[in-house]
Amino acid sequence: MTKIFQYECKRLLWNKFFFGLMAALLFYGWQTLSNVTIQGISRTAPFSPWSFGDYLSRMLPLIWIGALFFLTFFTSGKAKRTAVLTDAAPVPQRRYSLVRNAAALSGTGILILACTAEAAVFYSMYFGWRRWETLIFPVFLELIPPLVFALGSGWFLGQKQSWMVYVWMPVPLALRALPLPELFSLWTGSFFSEYPLALGAADPDFSVPAELVCVQMFLLISGLAFLAVRSRRQRK
Amino acid sequence: MLRMLPLELRRLLHSRFTWLIILLTVLSPAAGLILYKPASASTMLSVYLANPSIAGGVVGGILFAILTVYELDRTVRSRTEVLLDAVVSPLEMTFVRMAALAGTAILTLAFVMLAWLPVSRWLIGSVFGGQDYFLAYLLFMGVALPLCILAAASAYQFTGRADLSLVLFAAFAGLSLTVWEGEWQICWLNPSVWALSDDFSNFRIFRSVAYMRLTWLAALTGLWALSRLCVRQYGKSIAGSFIRNARRIARPAIAVLLLVCSCTAYAAQPLVDRSNPDETVMSFMEIPYLEGVLCSGRSAEVFPDTSSGRVKGRAAYQLVNTSGKSQQASFGVVPGYRVSSVQVNGKAADYSLGDYQEYNEALLEVEIPAEENVELTVEYGGFPQENRNMASMQGGMEISSEYLCLENAALAPRLMNIQPDENMYPASIEITLPRSMTVIPFGSGDAEVVETHEDGTATWRYEHSGTGGIVYAGDYIRQDIEAGGITIEFYYGRKHQAVMEEAKAADAVKAVADYCTEHYGELSFGAGDTLKLIQSRVVGGGYATNGASLLDEADFTFSNLNNASKGAAAGEVMIHELVHQWWGLGNMFDSSDPTNPWTAEGLTVYTTYRIAKELYGEEYAREKYVEQWKKETDDYYQNFYVRNPEYLDSLPEDKQLEISNSLSYVRQYCEMPLKIWKAQELLGGEKAMDEILRGLFNRELDPAYPYLTYEEFLDACGLLEEDLNLDENISI
Repeated sequence: MTKIFQYECKRLLWNKFFFGLMAALLFYGWQTLSNVTIQGISRTAPFSPWSFGDYLSRMLPLIWIGALFFLTFFTSGKAKRTAVLTDAAPVPQRRYSLVRNAAALSGTGILILACTAEAAVFYSMYFGWRRWETLIFPVFLELIPPLVFALGSGWFLGQKQSWMVYVWMPVPLALRALPLPELFSLWTGSFFSEYPLALGAADPDFSVPAELVCVQMFLLISGLAFLAVRSRRQRK
Repeated sequence: MLRMLPLELRRLLHSRFTWLIILLTVLSPAAGLILYKPASASTMLSVYLANPSIAGGVVGGILFAILTVYELDRTVRSRTEVLLDAVVSPLEMTFVRMAALAGTAILTLAFVMLAWLPVSRWLIGSVFGGQDYFLAYLLFMGVALPLCILAAASAYQFTGRADLSLVLFAAFAGLSLTVWEGEWQICWLNPSVWALSDDFSNFRIFRSVAYMRLTWLAALTGLWALSRLCVRQYGKSIAGSFIRNARRIARPAIAVLLLVCSCTAYAAQPLVDRSNPDETVMSFMEIPYLEGVLCSGRSAEVFPDTSSGRVKGRAAYQLVNTSGKSQQASFGVVPGYRVSSVQVNGKAADYSLGDYQEYNEALLEVEIPAEENVELTVEYGGFPQENRNMASMQGGMEISSEYLCLENAALAPRLMNIQPDENMYPASIEITLPRSMTVIPFGSGDAEVVETHEDGTATWRYEHSGTGGIVYAGDYIRQDIEAGGITIEFYYGRKHQAVMEEAKAADAVKAVADYCTEHYGELSFGAGDTLKLIQSRVVGGGYATNGASLLDEADFTFSNLNNASKGAAAGEVMIHELVHQWWGLGNMFDSSDPTNPWTAEGLTVYTTYRIAKELYGEEYAREKYVEQWKKETDDYYQNFYVRNPEYLDSLPEDKQLEISNSLSYVRQYCEMPLKIWKAQELLGGEKAMDEILRGLFNRELDPAYPYLTYEEFLDACGLLEEDLNLDENISI
């Protein structure tokens, strides 16, 4: 399985799509950091977890699209035509699916790491700031749950109809445009610009209301559940 | 190619996906009515024309980009690429596909314009204009479609992959919609349009958008031409295909030429100047006056070309040089103008027009001889540029047969370093315009027609005093209002008459003048007790001078009339600028230090709040003024860079300016009115404050320093500076 995982990773990450995506992401990220984040979000420092979280929320739609494009490697019509061959291989389908999902997760993880590293370089260059450990929690809160959900739900939809993955791509963009309730403020991006002000202190410590954590946890679990549901079906 | 184009177009129009894209694009302007509203002004054309057409451009453009990638990838998806390449040259097919997609975009735009014409007409009402409608949909929406097609096609031709093309396009469009929003030259998808005028023309902003669109059209066409060379042929890689396709030198040459053209167009744009972004620098104000040189008078003949938006003119200055030596006179000229000749006493003189620009002026320096009487004439002309620090709010320097506004150095070169004689720079200005336009000098003088011409124009003349001067012209009507012991000549656009009458604008103007007279005292003018109140096209603010105040078109609009929260008539720019006749002009403030928060704005904003309270109720005034000041001031005090200036200092200079400029207005417009409001509370209420302000307004002036200082205000209140300090939580 390790070999298959390595092969899938290579297939996913060693191609011009991944490098092109990475270049687009880094360019977009730098523009965001140097034009928006540098101002500081909600009166906080540009390197505060709040400003960093805002930066991540702006990056989320592009990483979401990238993650779903990773899935198209496995769900496209072309991939389905080769499934005849891979299905004939003496490998349990469930494990094979998990390996593929792990490869997609790895690719997405690399994108997240690249965005975080870019911000770290930016903070270091402009402010000489290097307390990078404070950036970890916003990443886990803002990016990991929706992207796991993207992969899970995208995988689920892609197995049904390959074109549905494409329809799923603009979802975060649409959510940002819609006037959603506060519960979804991590999705609309308004959480990082509004919640620190409600705390009423200068440079408040990073904190998140329990209900928003629940929403993110729900997304994470849903994403994992989508993957599991599919795997069970495959087992049948 | 001509044979294949109809076939490709027909094939495209046979696709259900194409028709889905067309249908969604036709519906897309609705997003501008509900979800995406980039134009912030409340005029009818901003709300119901600019927003839908820009939203249509964004949504439609993205849809057409998806269609482009879908169509270019069709042969790869269906694995017929090799067959098609064997029949038709892939390079030729790029042209055919592009032309077919562009044709579909044109067809879609026609559908959109037909479908939205009755809707827009109904929503906009009596101020609807066919020309504005056509230009808005053509420039704000129409050109976005080919731009998106070109961008998506370029991405596809470079990468050869649909997925990567879509990601690259998403990032490119995303940048325009977020980070680059408001940067008028680079937000390629959503043009930076903050307002369209209902009552006057909008050619300046249309020109600006057209210029940006053409720049990007050249850039993306160049990019597409370059990407076309990368179309894979004979199973070669991108590099191999490029080398083969570029063998005909015309192909890369055209691509490079287009890219160079677009870069040149970007760098040499004629619409916005290159004023110093640091607005605390006022080096032109620091040019010392010449010794022994006085200006005894000046005149100007100005000829605006209302069809091209250009101006040409001839200005003459009568100088008396008693110094016995030649000296250098300095003038401010609006960027965009060129000086074609300078003559001193009838002879050509040496002059230089500097590259450095500040506050929308460039420096013209002329050597004046050591003669006692000097007649200096300057011939100038060109396309006046707007201040780059206001580039996201273009449109103010409109010059058309419907409306014109020429301010100071845009009217004639502004004398900078020569003192006046006892007559204070008497000026005679002549301006030649279409006969349909009424000329209104922004000041105490009146203009009159001195000559009519066969070409349908008329020459107007008015007298003025000062080194600069502002003139408005357009299809205006005048209403005289008696208020506060003075006559207010209220000028507004003819198209605005119905709104002004329904909003009872004259009553609001009268209420403001009566309020200020009753609370602070009567205004006194040198010549006749008249005050002009002139409606400008929507500019997002205003100004005032002795004898004249500005009223923004957005003060009284149809949408304000229907907005219950704003009362029947908001008109707060009008109130603010009218109040400046008392605070700022009736009582002057020292403005030599741009960082000093004590300016005319503090008392003017405070008085505007008091009038709004009287006109629209306590709740409205508290919410829109006091709460807003508290929020803005609190934001300012709590801002990271205000609390930690050492971090601001560590940033590059352009970033420092960007941040400090965004914070500077708060101290004058929010912090100071809040301090005055705090003083009012400490003094025991509004009556006590009114008494103090009345006393200050009518105080004995020191001719050597006639300015009202913060110390005088504090002394009159019996308070110390620290009494008015606002703590970190702005608790009062």
